[in-house]
Amino acid sequence: MSDNNSRRKFLSWLTGLGSVAFLGSIIYPAYKFLVPPESGEANVSQVKLPFTRSEIEGDEKKAKTFKFGRTLGLIVLTGEGELKAMAATCTHLDCTVQHRPDLGIIWCSCHNGRYDLDGKNISGPPPKPLEQYIVNEIKGEIFVSKETA
Amino acid sequence: MIKFVIIFIGLLLFSINGFGSVNNCMSCHLDLEDEGGSASKFAKDIHSQKGLGCADCHGGDPTLDDMDDVRDSRGFRGVPNHLEVPDFCARCHSDATYMHNHNPSLPVDQLAKYKTSIHGQLLFSAKDKKVANCVSCHSVHEIGNGQMPYSSTHPSNLPATCAKCHSDKDYMAEYKIPTDQFEKYSSSVHGQALLERGDLGAPACNDCHGNHGAAPPGVSSLAAVCGVCHALEAELFEKSPHADAFLENDFPMCETCHSNHDIVKPSDKMIGTAESSLCTECHAADDGTIGLPTADSILTSLNNLVLAHLNAKQSLDEAILKGMMTTNEEFLLKEVDQSLIQARTLIHSFDMDSVAPKAMEGIAKADTIIVNSAGLIDEYYFRRKGLAVATLIITFLAFMLYRKIRKIEQK
Repeated sequence: MSDNNSRRKFLSWLTGLGSVAFLGSIIYPAYKFLVPPESGEANVSQVKLPFTRSEIEGDEKKAKTFKFGRTLGLIVLTGEGELKAMAATCTHLDCTVQHRPDLGIIWCSCHNGRYDLDGKNISGPPPKPLEQYIVNEIKGEIFVSKETA
Repeated sequence: MIKFVIIFIGLLLFSINGFGSVNNCMSCHLDLEDEGGSASKFAKDIHSQKGLGCADCHGGDPTLDDMDDVRDSRGFRGVPNHLEVPDFCARCHSDATYMHNHNPSLPVDQLAKYKTSIHGQLLFSAKDKKVANCVSCHSVHEIGNGQMPYSSTHPSNLPATCAKCHSDKDYMAEYKIPTDQFEKYSSSVHGQALLERGDLGAPACNDCHGNHGAAPPGVSSLAAVCGVCHALEAELFEKSPHADAFLENDFPMCETCHSNHDIVKPSDKMIGTAESSLCTECHAADDGTIGLPTADSILTSLNNLVLAHLNAKQSLDEAILKGMMTTNEEFLLKEVDQSLIQARTLIHSFDMDSVAPKAMEGIAKADTIIVNSAGLIDEYYFRRKGLAVATLIITFLAFMLYRKIRKIEQK
């Protein structure tokens, strides 16, 4: 009898353990799904920049690049103190463009492609403008978003 | 009475306007010419599209029916001979006031530039009737501007336009210049970009040689010509020790290493001390310069970066294939791509201290990708093992529940 009891207890314990493990195997993936991953989303329409206007101002080129989903964005501080953001990938052969405050343009060093500060291609090989983003400054934080259709 | 006056004025205006637009040239010339002749092409011509007619260039009275009468009419200029063509076109194209009424943005210095070109010099000085004049490049009655896809001066058509003469061995024989430029250009990195990929940003003949002032770039101005697009390379080269050395030895700047018409995509094999290297064509181990050791160090640095890039890409591809989230790593790989582009550009400084830091920066990023990708691949296997364990647990639980139910049923 006591043998039967202890066997039954052991089996119940195993069943309980199995149930806990079962719940764990459901809860863990659900938890991993709910917690945002370290990597950003692949396609985003808005990002909060991890730096402030004063950091851009302190940059030698008065500009900083930032991650926008899988693409690279460029935010520049114009001579008039306006922040402008655009895609940082040249429309010619995918090099990364840079701000040239000395010339007042966005410049691609690969083939001397030039864009104005609104991202419009003005000379050199780039066939089309850089995509423009909307910049919003809220309480010292910079938000960059894509234009909605 | 007022109605009668209005009708009379209307008829008068109609008749004036009607007579003004009469172009009898076309009715005869279309009949006389074969299909595809000059007259039938003219509708495509930019002059026709701007509202100009035959008489605007050829003179004469286009309202007359008889050809002999037209020839005798006022201002008839007829067809210019080969030597007369530049001045024939320049009658309008060098007249700023006239051009302002048709296309204010068009320059009016074509004839002045043409006179500085080899073509112009031979035509005006040597009265050469074979050398290119305006119509040789622009066609006769199908003239379009550089933006019109069918135009002979559209970037994608321009190499073939120049090649009409410059690739004709018999035609060019007396000028004693090569005739393989088009063939070489077509296989070059520029030719492939323009003619095969349709990249209108890639240079055609005129981007290096000029158009109306066409002439080969000089030895010392070559960096400026190539530097129009390859600005950073030209700037680095001009600051490098090679700039003065090339000038002293009369070596054409970019062309010495990259050639001219048959420029191929540069390869890392061009640098270093191996047989394929271009450095060894001028430098020797005992030439008393740091040329070859520098070339060797630069190549080692580049090779390390290329290898790191390759390894990073392979690791990342594996992680992508396993369905892991690799946004950050893909992003980082783009930065390694940029480091590689920049390091290769910095070669033109021929300074190890410029290339090495950029290569190291890229290698560090590539290493991060490798570590992160390995972590993601581990995570993938952890999840797979986890799935196996979970399956076992579920199976075990199902079995235990089955037993428990049976026990209850037995009671």
